[in-house]
Parts: sequence; C-alpha cells; structure tokens
Amino acid sequence: MIPAAFDYQAPSTVEEALHLLDSSEDAKVLAGGQSLMPVLRMRLAAPDTLVDLSGIAELRGVRDAGDAIVVGAMTPHEAVMSDPLIAEHATLLAKATAKVADPQTRRRGTFGGSLAHADPASDLPTCALALGAEFEIAGSGGRRTVQAADFFEDYFTTAIGEDEILTEVRVPKHTGWGAHYEKFVRTAQQWSIVAVAATVKLSGGTIAEAGVALTNMGSTPVRSTSVEQALIGVAPVDEAVRDAVAGIAEGTHPPTDINGDDNYRRHLATVLARRAVLAAAS
Amino acid sequence: MKLEHRFKVPTSVADTWAALNDLERIAPCFPGASLTSVEGDDFAGSVKVRLGPISLLYNGTGQFVERDESVHCAVIEAKGKDKRGNGTASATVRTQLTPDGEQTAVEVATDLSITGKPAQFGRGVIQDVSDKLLGQFAACLEQNLGATPEPAAEPEASASESTPTEPTPTETPSADRTASQPKATPSDTGGGELNLLTTVGPALAKRYAVPAIGVLLLLLLLRKLLRH
Repeated sequence: MIPAAFDYQAPSTVEEALHLLDSSEDAKVLAGGQSLMPVLRMRLAAPDTLVDLSGIAELRGVRDAGDAIVVGAMTPHEAVMSDPLIAEHATLLAKATAKVADPQTRRRGTFGGSLAHADPASDLPTCALALGAEFEIAGSGGRRTVQAADFFEDYFTTAIGEDEILTEVRVPKHTGWGAHYEKFVRTAQQWSIVAVAATVKLSGGTIAEAGVALTNMGSTPVRSTSVEQALIGVAPVDEAVRDAVAGIAEGTHPPTDINGDDNYRRHLATVLARRAVLAAAS
Repeated sequence: MKLEHRFKVPTSVADTWAALNDLERIAPCFPGASLTSVEGDDFAGSVKVRLGPISLLYNGTGQFVERDESVHCAVIEAKGKDKRGNGTASATVRTQLTPDGEQTAVEVATDLSITGKPAQFGRGVIQDVSDKLLGQFAACLEQNLGATPEPAAEPEASASESTPTEPTPTETPSADRTASQPKATPSDTGGGELNLLTTVGPALAKRYAVPAIGVLLLLLLLRKLLRH
C-alpha cells in the first residue's frame, strides 16, 4: 500500500511542467490523483517522477469565450457542479459531474484528470463527446486542439502524448438546452454499468437538436449520431422517443463482465437512452 | 480465456512454417516483447504491457511443446511473472498452418490465463486488451511472413539480433481492426520500443483502492485503539 519511491515536482507554469515531462525518463502527470494514486499504491505503476499540476493557476476555472465556455483541466469536479456558466451553457456537465463518485472524490478529482484518464466507464468523457467539446493539448512544440471525436482512442488512451498536458476544454454553448445523465449502477458510487448522456434543444414542442452519447459501451465513450438525427422533429413523449432511440446500441461493442453481458448492456442502453432523453426534454 | 485469430499469408506452407519456427523473427511481432535467449525449443524473454497509468513487466520462459512439421502444427507454452509481484500470466499458443492454393491459412488459438491484480480488473477489459494484443501479433505476422525478410540495415542493440526490417506496408491486414490504429502498428514493435497498447489498468486501481484504503484505515484504527 506504499508506492515505490518517486520524485515529486510541482511546477507553477505549463511550460515548466512540459519541461519536466520532457527531461524525465518516466514521468506521470498528477492531477487530482483520484485514479493515479491508487495505481501507485497498488504498485501497478512506478513512474520515476510525478509532475503535480495543482500549482498551475491558469489550469483552473471556467470562463466565457463567446460561443463557448472554457473549462480549465485542473478545475475540480465540485467547482464544475456549482459553476454558474456551466449551469447556464452546459448543464449536462453539471448534472453528470454531480453523479461522479462521492463528495470527497469530487473535491479532489479534476475535470481534465477524468478526461485524460479516459476510463470508458467514467462519466465525463461521454458528456464531452455529447457536447462536441474541443481539447487543448500543450506540448513542447506548442498547443494544438483535438475534437472530442478524435480525443478518445482506446481504453485509457487519448490523443495526449507522453510529453503533453491537457490544458483546457472548450465546450460549445448549449444555452437553453435541457440535459440529463442517466447512470445505471447496482450500488452507490459504482462505475457505470451503462450510462447515457442526453442533451436536447426543444422548439415548438418537438426536439430540434440533440446530443447523445453512451458510457461503458465499448473501449471509448460512444456518440450516437444516428439517434441524434432520429430524434430531430420528435415530440418528447414516451412512444416516439422509444422508437427514435431503438437503434442506439447498433455498432457498439459493450463489455461482458460480472455486472452483465454484452446483450444485457445493449438492451440497457435503449432503456436508459429513452429515460435520459425524456428527462432532458422535460 | 480462449482467443482465436486467423489470417492468410501469400507464401507456401513450407516457407511459412520455417518463418514461424524462427522465434527471433516472430518475437518482435508481439507488442512489448523482447527475447533474451533461445536454446533449442526453449526461450526466455519479457513482455511489457502498458495500460494508461498501469505498467506490467512479465519476465518468463517458454518452450515449443509440440512441433509437428508433417501436419504443420506447433504449440508453444509460455509463462511469466510480473516484476513487481502483480501476479502471473501464462499462455498456450497453438498455431496451425493449412495450404490454401498458393497461400497459407494461419490459425492461432491462444489459451491465456492471468492471475493476481490484473486479473481482477474485471469489466471484460483484460479479454478485450488481450484480444487486441494478439490481433496486433497476428497482423504483424501476416505482414512479416508476407514480406521477404532482409537483414536489418542498422541492427539495434536489442535482444533479437535478427530483427527484420519494418514490415513493408502491404494492404491493410484484415486480421484485426487494431492493426490500423496508429499507436499499435506492427512496425512499432520491431525496435524494442515498448509501444504496447496502453490498456487495461486504472479501473482496477480504483477498484482496489477501496479495499486497500479500508485495510489501511483499519490498521491505523487498531494502532490508535491499542495505544489507548
């Protein structure tokens, strides 16, 4: 339960952090530590250096950037949940973050940490995908922007390179959209067996636009563009939504484990999608 | 856990058989693997698996337990132990070659068993990751066996002296979807650079954290109680 020895560095700027990553053989970035520290304690990893980003002020906070809001990677979950800009323009994030783990984890854990960790059963990657977020990644060669669709590559694998840092996430404003995150678990604070993120914009009593994505239905979060299309023009009533989301599990490769097999998850996805869309539209 | 992969190579059964029996040629195909010694039917080496923040290094040995040229069937058994005591992995790999016109059909059936912490990752991740790793292995073999091996221009100081040059990019291997993933191209594995699929881990860790922290708290509590 005691990690192998490592060097600890706490830079105060992104440039300094990048330099540390560059100059170290086997460094890991430490954000809120809610996933990394258990791994170190279990000695499932033994990096020689931890680069702690918590002292970098520019990585924290939420700001308005015109047609989008920008969430700093080191913004803790708790701040995301209570931020007025997020509540107004990306309410899906606020609602899903409220269902992440427990209060202690939400206090330490960070938005960017969860995204960079890219656990396919975690909640925030799915929401970032449903909202069409953009990820800013800093490296020694400069900064680049990656679309959510290209960011999540595989289990725990993202577009962030070994010597790079996720600095902030740009979320297009979804002002006035309804949202719901339907998370299915057997016990409190469990990882999602399956979850569905839905955010919809209503116009004249029908759905005008929709963003829908799935948690834990493959090695990455899955965006359901066909369902998003099928929902357009649909009245937010049980029967119609049920039909529109019927094909949501098509083309997914959900895992089989102790909580259920792949077919169970496919079925679950259609049920949860209906609930999520109806709740988002109400 | 049983995993199966099938692919075809454009060489005769005899040539394919010879190549498959050349461990130093096929070992670099396995993501993260390096060979340290080969003696007759026995070999030793290591496999490094990275999955997000988790990294496991299995050191172990293996041998050909069956090598029947008349039916072109070979069976390899290998087992290894994680360097930091995180359990063991063992595999039985049965390779069967069948002529298919000018080509050779290759069937690779693997029976994999993983113990210790990684086995408890659950969530089907281990199976999926193993399947991808073997898929990469099969895709690399497919490319490698199809191309004529040339002596490496600048042999690296890696364990395998006869590392083939990077497989020429032939048509996309059909063996596995992972073959097209940028991080997992077979050619990445040739240079001793352990660019394995970063795969399975952190889920585990979180999962472990609860019992681990529980035990820790219990110990602290006991200590406190005993002191009073």
